[in-house]
Amino acid sequence: MINHIKNKIYHVEVLPPKQDSEKLEKDLEIFSNKYLRVMNSGYCVCITDNTMGLLSFQGTEMIEELDLPVIPNQVMIHLNTFHTKDNLDNILDICKLKGIRYLLIITGDGSERLPKLRPSDVGATDVESVTSVELLKYINRKYPDTFVLGVAFNPYEPEEHELKKMERKIKAGATFIITQPLIERNEVVDRLLEKYPKIPIFVEAWMSKKLYLLSEAVGYEIPENSEFDPISTLKMLHKLYPGCGVYLSLLGFKTQYHLIKDTWV
Amino acid sequence: MKIVVCIKQVPATNDAKIDPETKRIIRKGIKAILNPFDTYAVEEGVQLRDKFGGEVIVLSMGPPKAEASLREAISVGIDRAILLSDRAFGGSDTWATSYTLAKAIKKIGDVDLVICGKQAIDGDTAQVGPGIAAHLDWLQATYVMAVEEISSSSIRVKRMHEDGYDICEMSLPAVITVVKDINTPRVPSLKGRLASNKCEIPVWKPDDIGADISKIGLDGSPTRVVKTQPPPPRHTNTKKIEGSSIECAQSLLRELRLRSVI
Repeated sequence: MINHIKNKIYHVEVLPPKQDSEKLEKDLEIFSNKYLRVMNSGYCVCITDNTMGLLSFQGTEMIEELDLPVIPNQVMIHLNTFHTKDNLDNILDICKLKGIRYLLIITGDGSERLPKLRPSDVGATDVESVTSVELLKYINRKYPDTFVLGVAFNPYEPEEHELKKMERKIKAGATFIITQPLIERNEVVDRLLEKYPKIPIFVEAWMSKKLYLLSEAVGYEIPENSEFDPISTLKMLHKLYPGCGVYLSLLGFKTQYHLIKDTWV
Repeated sequence: MKIVVCIKQVPATNDAKIDPETKRIIRKGIKAILNPFDTYAVEEGVQLRDKFGGEVIVLSMGPPKAEASLREAISVGIDRAILLSDRAFGGSDTWATSYTLAKAIKKIGDVDLVICGKQAIDGDTAQVGPGIAAHLDWLQATYVMAVEEISSSSIRVKRMHEDGYDICEMSLPAVITVVKDINTPRVPSLKGRLASNKCEIPVWKPDDIGADISKIGLDGSPTRVVKTQPPPPRHTNTKKIEGSSIECAQSLLRELRLRSVI
């Protein structure tokens, strides 16, 4: 994953269509166009997994059904703990078959309609519920040397707790880290960088102007700033964190995509 | 084995408003979804079909837009769907609804098992499943949490109740209503969803099922809603615990112990 930082390869988040889409065909076309655009730019397309507990189609089934090309270095699938065992194994098998190597393993957000993995599903005997740690262990055990597994870091959670959790994630086999979105320098992330100098770390840049959505995503109130300019903030993040990669969330493909071309210099 | 799953499309909110004139739920402007309890009935139907073979059919009575919920059921593995939709069905209470569904089940023919969710989240009556059994004069088991055994002539189920469970054995054909504990409903796949968009869903009218017009819709509904009112607000006794995280944890522990929670 370090080559993504060296070669200035952006991670671009693409959200699959929601299950209740009333214009599915159109949404599939939009997804496909975004996916191909990211691929053609040489960036890494990152497909989310039921973000915020909202039922959406899986990245793997989108790639299969739409017959999208997979360049192993340019595709990352998010995978959370809200699946049935069969569904989880199916996703991992398709990833292996298609040559998708990068997985971002997260605990994720649940909802009424989403099943949750049980500890027995992933062979965990010492926990009451499955988190990203148990999922990492399971994938590394069942698919040794197949995937490059990353995890999320939330600097808005209590620091001590989050850093301890990160230790468990690294021990379970995580080899890269993506932070929650930053809109300025973050001291907790600075300390994360100090603690893990050899692990590739990607800071997430919030590309939407709507900061209240960020508050909802991280669960803490981020002060609204009417002057918030995502592109300037992205440039600032590159300066603040030159040794990090960048993950772009909620990037506007019509209004912003053409602007990011020369931002990582 | 031929299985029919009865489903209902309901408003996607438990904050629905009641029309003061008609005493009915105001559905305008509210997104409609498949009744969450019915997703367990659909899943059980698909699982039983997968295990024992045969066919599983989904049936619903409602306006034309209820077709979306039928398609959702098809996207998770149901074989075919039928929609009962006509102005004459409008205003049906649970008695008229169960009469209509029972007539459709008779028309489908050779049905071994009918599965319903335990209740719909809009009316919360839990009457339609038992009503279908009454109209068909079939045996029924409500609040089923597990199908333990099934053969061509009988079914053994585990019924949940407040103090435990009952094991019931019934001859087929029969009607069961199911609770959440029975299974984990699968999430529709993209392949299933695309296939469901293409399938034909026949719409049956009163004549198609040989329904007695005096027994359907408003005319066939003996229920009269005399008055509706919101339930009284719940009184909660909230106590705010303040201090450092350790102090808060200690206070919380003390409070829980005082209340014999732990």
